[in-house]
Amino acid sequence: MRNARLRGLLWMLFISELQAATKPREEKYVLAAGETLNVQCPFTIWKYANSRKAWQKLMDRGEPLTLIFTQSVSGNPSQVWMGRYFLEDIPTEAILKVQMTNLQVEDSGLYRCVIYQPPKDPDILSPLVRLVVIKDPLGSTVSDKNPTENLAQISTLPPTTTKAQSTVLNSPRTVTQLLPKSTADISSPGFGVNVTNETDFTSYGFRVPVVNIVILVLCGLLSKSLVFTVLLAVTQRSLDPRAVKP
Amino acid sequence: MSAHSALLTWALLAFLGLGLGVPEEDLPHPCCPVVPRREWNAPASKCSEKLKLPVRYVVVSHTAGSPCDSPASCRNQVQNVHNYHAGTLNWCDVGYNFLIGEDGLVYEGRGWDTKGDHTGMTWNPISIGISFMGNYMERSPPPRALRAAQGLLACGVAQRKLSPTYEVKGHRDVQQTLSPGDQLYEIIRTWPHYHE
Repeated sequence: MRNARLRGLLWMLFISELQAATKPREEKYVLAAGETLNVQCPFTIWKYANSRKAWQKLMDRGEPLTLIFTQSVSGNPSQVWMGRYFLEDIPTEAILKVQMTNLQVEDSGLYRCVIYQPPKDPDILSPLVRLVVIKDPLGSTVSDKNPTENLAQISTLPPTTTKAQSTVLNSPRTVTQLLPKSTADISSPGFGVNVTNETDFTSYGFRVPVVNIVILVLCGLLSKSLVFTVLLAVTQRSLDPRAVKP
Repeated sequence: MSAHSALLTWALLAFLGLGLGVPEEDLPHPCCPVVPRREWNAPASKCSEKLKLPVRYVVVSHTAGSPCDSPASCRNQVQNVHNYHAGTLNWCDVGYNFLIGEDGLVYEGRGWDTKGDHTGMTWNPISIGISFMGNYMERSPPPRALRAAQGLLACGVAQRKLSPTYEVKGHRDVQQTLSPGDQLYEIIRTWPHYHE
């Protein structure tokens, strides 16, 4: 009887781990205020060449807000502008390009590319985009600075960022994300995001979310193990016949 | 009964371990046998554009040409493909990053570091193009060829050329084409990293 309850507990935790592990791929972009976000979302050409596409922001309770969408279903390339948002659908190349200019701190959040097909639910394209817009701590527009100056400033970034990277991943490559080998590799000034380096993990100007995913997973697992331990202790105590009063 | 609980606990702990992620140092470095360029007498590549590593996408195609089933005939076939791309089409090198023969061997094309010419201007800079030598509309590549391809991709992850979350696409998923052929396409759709 007590073993069955224990088993039940274990199964519950096992299954909850399982569902947590199958979340869609998320990519993190860290950019400074005023900069431009560029995202490429691939889609299956034979399935969605003639479908409309949209760029959505996921709000606090998970409900999506459609920011911009395409109209064309011709299968030919089309472009849409809407304020700071730009959407380019290139069905012949099976790619959807999204651009958000003049980023603000309030733009931070979770975004996604979708196949827009109201009234049906949208089909979600990979990857999900986690955008973090940092207020420019340098106190002036970043675009004025030349890349070499930025190098010195990059090293004075809040220490928590580099610490997290160096403790979680022992590989020296991740630390060099913020200290590029050559200034020629920097395509545009930024907080180390647009640094391209052959041996590091960045590409297309964003930081690989491996560190953050690992941290997230660790936190999730830690909290679940704590819950598990507590439940186990409680169950053991309640099932222990010696503790039961006659 | 208690054995079952123990088993479950182990399963949970194992899953916890998986969640924490296998530390990169513990990954056994798989063998990466690839027939290098000099072995198939490749003329020097004239390509200069590099790929940004690690790469997130792999595009699988077929050459739609003749298959080959021995190291000797496959070496010949790679040369043929190279002659067509570099000679006739005047490209800087054979278009694919790697070619797979029905002899079960992987042939080095442009390799992991150089941008290929296999899928068009959007996908070439962001993917590794591997091509099975043959036409796979009506027939499938033999298991040893599929194994070789899978091994190559695992190699790529181990060598940090491919992102651990890389996605495999069929050529026809991203361009209007029959490549990689109906039979091969159905096979790659069952691969773990395939993502529509």
